[in-house]
Amino acid sequence: MTRVSITALLALLLSAACKKSSSPVPGEPMLNAIRAEQGGIGLSFSESQGKHLFLQYCATCHGDEGRGDGQNASNLKPPPPDLTVSRNDRDAASLRKVIAEGSAAIGRSPLSPPRGRSLSGEQIDDLVAYCQALARKKS
Amino acid sequence: MAVEVKNTAPTWLHVAFACLGAAFALIFFWVLLRETTADWRTTQAAFRRLEASVKNPHQLAESARIGGLRQIWLPEIGRVDRCVTCHLGIDDPAFAAAPLPFTSHPGRWLTTHPTDRFGCTTCHDGQGEATDYRNAAHHPQPNVARPMRPTETIDANCGVCHRGLVPPDAPRLAEGRRLIADVGCFSCHEIPGYEGMAFRGPSLDSISYKVRPDWLSGWLKDPKSYLPQSKMGNFRLSSDEIAGLQAFLLTQRAQTPLDSSGIDWNKADTAKGRGLFGELRCVTCHAVNGRGGTMGPELTRIGDKVRRNWLFSYLKDPHRVQPDTPMLRYRLSDEQLRDLTAFLIDEYRSAETGAEPPPATSGDARLIASGQAAFERRGCASCHRVPGVKDPGRIGPSLAGVADRDPDELPYGNNVVRHSTGNYIFLKVLLPDTLGQPSLMPTFGYTPSDAAKIAVALESLRKTDLPASYVVRRPSPTPYQPAGRFGELVTRYRCLSCHSIGGYGGDLSTVPLDRIGSQLQHDYVTTYLLNPGAVRVSIEARMPVFHMLPDEARTIADYFSTVFLDDRMEQYNGTFTPAEAQRGQDLYRQLGCQACHQLGLQGGYVGPELSATGARLKPGWIAAWLTSPETYKPGTLQPDYGLSNTDARALTAYLSTLGRREASAR
Repeated sequence: MTRVSITALLALLLSAACKKSSSPVPGEPMLNAIRAEQGGIGLSFSESQGKHLFLQYCATCHGDEGRGDGQNASNLKPPPPDLTVSRNDRDAASLRKVIAEGSAAIGRSPLSPPRGRSLSGEQIDDLVAYCQALARKKS
Repeated sequence: MAVEVKNTAPTWLHVAFACLGAAFALIFFWVLLRETTADWRTTQAAFRRLEASVKNPHQLAESARIGGLRQIWLPEIGRVDRCVTCHLGIDDPAFAAAPLPFTSHPGRWLTTHPTDRFGCTTCHDGQGEATDYRNAAHHPQPNVARPMRPTETIDANCGVCHRGLVPPDAPRLAEGRRLIADVGCFSCHEIPGYEGMAFRGPSLDSISYKVRPDWLSGWLKDPKSYLPQSKMGNFRLSSDEIAGLQAFLLTQRAQTPLDSSGIDWNKADTAKGRGLFGELRCVTCHAVNGRGGTMGPELTRIGDKVRRNWLFSYLKDPHRVQPDTPMLRYRLSDEQLRDLTAFLIDEYRSAETGAEPPPATSGDARLIASGQAAFERRGCASCHRVPGVKDPGRIGPSLAGVADRDPDELPYGNNVVRHSTGNYIFLKVLLPDTLGQPSLMPTFGYTPSDAAKIAVALESLRKTDLPASYVVRRPSPTPYQPAGRFGELVTRYRCLSCHSIGGYGGDLSTVPLDRIGSQLQHDYVTTYLLNPGAVRVSIEARMPVFHMLPDEARTIADYFSTVFLDDRMEQYNGTFTPAEAQRGQDLYRQLGCQACHQLGLQGGYVGPELSATGARLKPGWIAAWLTSPETYKPGTLQPDYGLSNTDARALTAYLSTLGRREASAR
């Protein structure tokens, strides 16, 4: 009787030990599916908000990736600039001015319209952050 | 002996009491030490140092009063959230640039969802009552059913309160809910938020006249092999079940197709049919080779599926076959219908598909009975009507409260995953037969990202009900059913499949009809309905050419201009001076309108083409739109230039001259 119970106890301990050593790390398939779709680009919160706005308001001319190759780009003279190239004159203040008051406000063509009345200040900040992230991504 | 015991017992007791006293003292000091050096105290001390660099002395004196454990108590929704004990700057914009845990909440959410009403765990999950990092379950850990959500799936908690309405900041919830509505999960499962919605697959009561037998068996085996976007899932049927279902369905002959015996198919001109196919704009709703709309079924292999006489009859009167179809009824002659039918059957079929076999007239009674049994068992009648088979209602389990099921009691099959309702729903939606239990649920063939979005939407179905003041319900638009001749035309041409009135109807057209009479010129509406062209150059979905009668077009235009009006625009004074028009033309260039609008051969193609604006739009609408586009279409690409009344009037004057001369000469 004692011998049987000792054997049973040993077997139980052994199986518990085996189970512990062979169990792989549990996966997060749902989360992984969403992350895979998002792509590996690490955007901050504000930048990702800016990306949504960029796709809605800007991408038709500036292109989904900001390369100046949107579907309407070929109709524009001068053409929209490639935002993935970082330039000295593209600091936060001038980006904000272009987005809010239009490109005419910094002495360029009037082709990029003002959005200051449709977007909130915070939304414009998000867009500025995303535009700066576009240049950062490339460099 | 007895004396010895009497002498030793007190000593033993003394020792025991001494030990116990020491233990109590130790515990006392340990607790004291633990409480004075608790995580949250060091965190708060760090916050005070940070605060000193951010705020002025007056503000510091104000905030110094707030110290110690802090909590948000919300008895109404049963929450005690102590997160603010450490997240001290959460609703103070001064800490926007501070490091975690002191940074202020990103985004605009706290303005619409203040912490004193919603707490923290309402949106984020986690253990709100904990006062240290680990116990608050910032990350998944054993024996915690609801650890904090990563931002990727946080949309699910938006859906707990936002029952039907989709908040604009929750794209995955919105997409998940759309996918559920699209495929009709609520036909088999009770899903809160979809009450009263019924998904209907095509009626099968006359399917024997409609399809080829070989197509039917192939479809039952795997719908995706015929139509990759099929809304019907793969039911993983055995070959016996398929044979039975095929035999049973081929006995369904409730409604004979319209008579086409007088049609001489040898005279059919497929070239003319091709022309009609383009002219009628079938691709606005039906895709061919992956391109085109999604409102109707894809037509790439329609010739492999349907019988010729049935297609002729369907095109002649789709509403007779399926009263609730979004498809309109074109006004075509029998010859045109013949050419179109012949074109569709000949053009869109595989090379190996042979001639059409004659309709089956009899079948094996036992096989038919087994097919009917399979039809009832697998819940086909939840989506498809067949005479003699009762609608079984919802054969799947109710999904009300599914997000609150114990994750450790759910089956995961051989999948090694963290036990959570999200992962369970995700796997069930993606691969229903791999969870170690027999499942009647079909495999829908979702991509993992779509399955994840559906899981996000279903994870918002919590068990506990919220007080009504927290719940945001879906507005239910009143069905719009105009009477009389106009009503008949709306039904015949299915205007509301694409357009909406009072929020009711389709969203394929971006133009609701509510104020269309104040927007468009009466004569323009009439000509446009008779021969709709493209106002926007780059949009593929276009209005079909109905082959409408001139009288019908006039009826619709009259109705528009008497009913769908906005008085504010109607009162706009429409006589302009040439100087105003000239000033408007200058403004047009100065503002850069040509970036998006085409005029003549120049300009972009984001907005509508403008060369006939004067004949098309009423001046009141032009001015209203230019002055405040967001009022009429939130999120529009049309910029708000903040035009003065004079400038808006000048631009309106200029645009009103465009196309005006041609209109009056006609």
